[in-house]
Amino acid sequence: MNGAAIEMRDAFGQTLVELGAQYPNMIVLDADLHTSSKATMFKKAYPERFLQVGIAEQNLFGISAGLALSGFLPFPSTFAAFASRRALDQIAISICFPNLNVKIPGSYVGLPTSRAGASHNCIEDIAIMRALPNMRVADPADAADLRAIMHAAAEVRGPVYFRIARLAMPPIFGPDHRFEWGKGVLLREGRDVTLFGTGIMTTFCLKAADLLAHEGIRAEVVHLGSIKPIDRELIASSAARTGCAVTAENATINGGFGAAVLEVLSEECPVPVRRIGVRDRWADSGGIKELFTHHHMQPEDIAEAARKVISQKKGVQV
Amino acid sequence: MQLPVEKLTQLETVAYQIRRLSVEMITYGKWGHIGGSFSMAEILAVLYFHVMKVDAENPEWEHRDRLVLSKAHGSPALYAALALRGFYPLEKVYSYCELGGFEGHTDMARTPGLESSGGPLGMGLSVAVGMALGMRFKDNPRGRVFCILGDGECNEGNVWEAAMSAAHYHLDNLIAVVDYNKVMAKGFVWDEMAIEPLAEKWRAFGWEVIEVDGHDIPALVEAFYRARWILPRGKPVVVIAHTVKGKGVEMAEFNYRWHTHAPDPATADRMLRELARTYGFPEQGYSKLGEPEVKENFYGGE
Repeated sequence: MNGAAIEMRDAFGQTLVELGAQYPNMIVLDADLHTSSKATMFKKAYPERFLQVGIAEQNLFGISAGLALSGFLPFPSTFAAFASRRALDQIAISICFPNLNVKIPGSYVGLPTSRAGASHNCIEDIAIMRALPNMRVADPADAADLRAIMHAAAEVRGPVYFRIARLAMPPIFGPDHRFEWGKGVLLREGRDVTLFGTGIMTTFCLKAADLLAHEGIRAEVVHLGSIKPIDRELIASSAARTGCAVTAENATINGGFGAAVLEVLSEECPVPVRRIGVRDRWADSGGIKELFTHHHMQPEDIAEAARKVISQKKGVQV
Repeated sequence: MQLPVEKLTQLETVAYQIRRLSVEMITYGKWGHIGGSFSMAEILAVLYFHVMKVDAENPEWEHRDRLVLSKAHGSPALYAALALRGFYPLEKVYSYCELGGFEGHTDMARTPGLESSGGPLGMGLSVAVGMALGMRFKDNPRGRVFCILGDGECNEGNVWEAAMSAAHYHLDNLIAVVDYNKVMAKGFVWDEMAIEPLAEKWRAFGWEVIEVDGHDIPALVEAFYRARWILPRGKPVVVIAHTVKGKGVEMAEFNYRWHTHAPDPATADRMLRELARTYGFPEQGYSKLGEPEVKENFYGGE
C-alpha cells in the first residue's frame, strides 16, 4: 500500500477513454452528470459516441437497451442512487431479462459523496443489483482494480454493474493487475480471522489487520471485487482455515456484500461472522472521516468486530 | 392511395386470424389479454404484411425494420402475427404461457422475430429510441423502428421522457403507434387517468401526429405510408390509432373485464364463431374443444 492515492473517478474516466479506443461500438450515455462522474473524459475523446439524455434515468437505461439490441456496447452513466432506485425496472426488464450487453457504472456509492446526504449516498445498490438474474456486480478496491473490472466488463457478454466511490484510494494492486469474474484475491495470510472486504473497504480491512497484528492477532484479508459471481471456494477455504470472519462493505449490510458472504458460509462452512457496513439506516451529510466513524465503519470498528468473532469461536479464550 | 383488392383481402384475413389465434392461445394457455390483442389486430396485420421490411427466413437481417411492443401484454396478437408471417410454425403459438414455451409477456429469448422483451408498461418507447439511434449510427436511412403503445400506458412518465428525447434527437426514423382502445385494466381511460388532449401532447413534445381509425385497413395503410415516407422531416411520427378494446366480439368490446381474462372453452367456441360471422369467414369453433388438458385446471382470471 505504497504510492499516492488515486481518485477512483479519474481512473473511471481514463479507462472509459481507453476502452473507447478498443471498442469502436462503445457508446457512453449520460444523464447530466458527466463532469461529476468524469465520463466527461470520454465525451472529449469521442464526442460522436457520447450521448446526453438529460435528467431522465428511466430513458437512459431504455435507450441503452435499444442500442445494445442494435449491436452497440453502451455504458449508461449516472449516480448509483438513480440507477439502482429510479431506473430499477428498466435495468431489470429492458436489460437484465433479455441479458443485454450493457455496462452500468454506479457513481457516488456509499458514504463518501461530497456531503450530498442520504438521497445521494447510495447504500442499497449492491443488494438490489445482485438480486437481478443475469447481472454481474463488482466493487473495486483501487484504481487498478476499477480499470481491470471495466476491461472485464467489456469482455464478458451480458449486463454488468460496477461501483465507483468518490474517493482517492491508495494503490493495492499494480498496473498489471487482472480481474476475473468470481475470483477473489488473498491479500494477506493469517490464521485467526478472515476479513472479507469489497470496494474501498478492502483498504480498511488491511488497516484493521495492521491494528490486530499489534495485538498478535493474525488476520487474513481477502478482497472480493467480484460480488456476483462470488468466489465460493476462497470464502469457504479461508473461513475453514481461520474459523471466523468479518465482512466490510461501503453499503448497507442488508442483503448486500456481507449477506452474500454469509450465504456462502452458512452453506459451506458455518463460522461466527460480523458484518461492517451501514446498519439499516440512511446515510448522512458530513465529512468523509466523520461519516465512517459515525457509521462504525473505520478500521478500528473492523478490528473490534474481529476480536468479537474470535471470542465466539468454540473453545477459544481471548 | 388505392389498395389492390387482393392485398386488402389478405390483410383482412390476417387480422381475422390474429384474433382467432389470440382467442385460442389465451384459452389454451389459461391466461392472457383478449381486449388489447383484438384492438391491434389490424395494426399488426398492416405492419407485418404491408409496411415493415422483415425477413422471416433471416430474422437478424441487418437492414430490417424493427417493432417494439411496448404494451407487451398484447403478446398473443404479436405471436400470431409472427407465426402467420412465417417466423415459426403456427402450432408453436400454443406453447403460450406453458413452462418453457412462449412467455405471457414478451421474452425475445423464446420467440423468434421478437425485437425486445417487456411487460412493465411505459418502457418500450425508450428501447425504440435506442434502436432508432442505433440505425442512425449505422447509416441506415431507410430503416424504421415501430413502437406500439397502449393508451393507458401513456400515464407512465417514462413514455414522455422517451418522447422528449426522440424529438430532441430528431428521430424521423421512429414511428410510434398508440393503440387508443379507450379502456385500461380496470375501467375507461378518462375515468382511470385522463390522457386527453393526446394529439396535442405529442405535438407539444415535438412529434408529427396522424390520427386514424385503427380498424380501417386502407386508412392504416395510408397513415403508415405518410408516417414512413411523407412526414419525416427531422421529427418522429406518432400514429394515434382509434380502436375498440375487444373489437370483434360483442361481449369483449369496450369491456375492461376482458382486459386480463381467459375464456372457458365453451365461451371461446362462441367467440370464434362470432368472429367468423362478423368478418365474413366460414364458421369455425374452438379447435381444442374437449381436450382434457383444457378442461382440467381451469380458470384464468384477472
